[in-house]
Amino acid sequence: MVVQSRGLRDKYCIVGVGETEYSRASARTTRAMAVEAIRKAILDAGLKAADVDGMLDYQGGDSTLANSVASDLGIRFNFYMDVMGGGSSTEALVGLAMGAIEAGMCNTVAIYRSMNGYSEFRIGGTGARAAQPVRGLDLAQVPYGMRSAGQNFAPTFMRHMYEYGTTSEQVAHVRVAHSKHASQNPKALLKQRVTVQDVLASRWIVKPLHLLDCCVETDNATCIIVTSAERARNLRHRPVYIMGVAGRVSKPRLDFHWAHGPISRVAGYYAKDIIFPQAGIGPEDVHVTGSYDAFTFTTMLQLEEYGFCKKGEGGAYVSSGIIELGGKRPNNTSGSHLCEGYTHGMSMVIENVRQLRGAVDDYCPRAAEGVHTYDYSPGHCRQVKDAEITMNLGWAMPATGSALIMRR
Amino acid sequence: MPQPVQYRGMALIVPDNDSEWKEFYEHARAHRLVARKCNACGLMRYPPTHACPWCMDLGWTWQEVSGRGTIYSYEIVAHAIQPGFKEMTPYAVVLVELDEQRGQPTPDEALRVIANLVKVDFTAESEADVAIGKRVRVVFQDLADHMALPQFTLTEEPAAGRVWRLPE
Repeated sequence: MVVQSRGLRDKYCIVGVGETEYSRASARTTRAMAVEAIRKAILDAGLKAADVDGMLDYQGGDSTLANSVASDLGIRFNFYMDVMGGGSSTEALVGLAMGAIEAGMCNTVAIYRSMNGYSEFRIGGTGARAAQPVRGLDLAQVPYGMRSAGQNFAPTFMRHMYEYGTTSEQVAHVRVAHSKHASQNPKALLKQRVTVQDVLASRWIVKPLHLLDCCVETDNATCIIVTSAERARNLRHRPVYIMGVAGRVSKPRLDFHWAHGPISRVAGYYAKDIIFPQAGIGPEDVHVTGSYDAFTFTTMLQLEEYGFCKKGEGGAYVSSGIIELGGKRPNNTSGSHLCEGYTHGMSMVIENVRQLRGAVDDYCPRAAEGVHTYDYSPGHCRQVKDAEITMNLGWAMPATGSALIMRR
Repeated sequence: MPQPVQYRGMALIVPDNDSEWKEFYEHARAHRLVARKCNACGLMRYPPTHACPWCMDLGWTWQEVSGRGTIYSYEIVAHAIQPGFKEMTPYAVVLVELDEQRGQPTPDEALRVIANLVKVDFTAESEADVAIGKRVRVVFQDLADHMALPQFTLTEEPAAGRVWRLPE
């Protein structure tokens, strides 16, 4: 089925971003963290609470709903919705925010995700979630010790290795690149650069995933603010324009995608045909990618499926240096989920907004003024020179994903 | 409602109104592996669902399958998330492609089932013997009077196609 572009390219912008500290022990509620992140994003945009009249958030029974956090901040809604979802929700909600504004329901939408993803509700299912009763569709997998995200995805990764000869060494380069980027990020939980050998020597979690192939569960809240391009032109920062968006595009049989192969295919196979025509560009035009790294393999699979390399050549692509700062098309320049902290994807959109502003928060002495050294040795710069177009590739699972293309 | 079945620290719940799984597990307890077969187009589907994903017909009947198949992919869990699985590590979760309906209705589709690869005493199969391409058959792990879990075990049949396992 062909999805018709609606001519909304460059008509909406992300105008504000904000986040809390990335930590393993926030010692506060998701409500408190959400309020901080939203407030920072509003101030970052140069807006007031009264200017924000829409709100969207996503969660999985582990967070605080919009009615509480908006009341804390004195926001009155013309529109809000709380949505169930994890990874890949950010990009989808950007599209829904554009739709709400386009429909005349509201003017400016704050989108947030707040999670005590380590200290309270661990996404992997460790702790309280391991004791939940098993019923319904879960019966097809959970009684077999297949419960966490890594356990759910691993047969897809293994089949890719079987079909294409992808190796653990190749994929480990994703961790190497993202740790390099995290070493330039004062916010990152894991700032130490690692080697391929460090990844391969780390203990097995669920083969083919080593510990360092997995992201770092984190307590954190994030927020972005979407409004029309007309409003954006009068705000604090250079507008970051939304060129295209694809939201929670899915493979067939997504409740049990094993039924419909190839299982090494991911949702970008379908999403790319929606988003690239909207944006009027192709993968070769993108300067910075943000391919969701719940695991090293998820970054690789998506870059491949969206056409940054040929199908089956993802291992070669991620181990070529292209995805590192200083390379042709850096990926996840904040260090993202593998190293900065796991936040269900919004942090990667925030990072790309900052890249397009030319204002990433690295260790450059004059970073606050937007002056960067482009010295990518440890503890220095992570700004990409002249970044004009970025693309986020959001991952929920092999069968569902989202994408977002932005420009300055 | 029947009592939840306790297995490895988990409560498995199949209430009387569960119109997907209740009869599936009763068949499994009688050591029959079944799939839903569409009354209109004749294609089978797993897990149990309520309409045919190919023709949307609502009519179906339980169809017994041979329980023989090939390992299509797998994983080895070294670090268990569920506490009851810690003593089983390392254990294999296998994606088994059943012999019936392979490559139908399109070449990429098949009846595929998730289970553990186990020895006849339901302990985890040795990791070195787990590989894509190896042949398996279903075995039933009885958990209660009304419930058994389908599992898979290796057979002596020659492998189907290329045999591959993750390099050491």
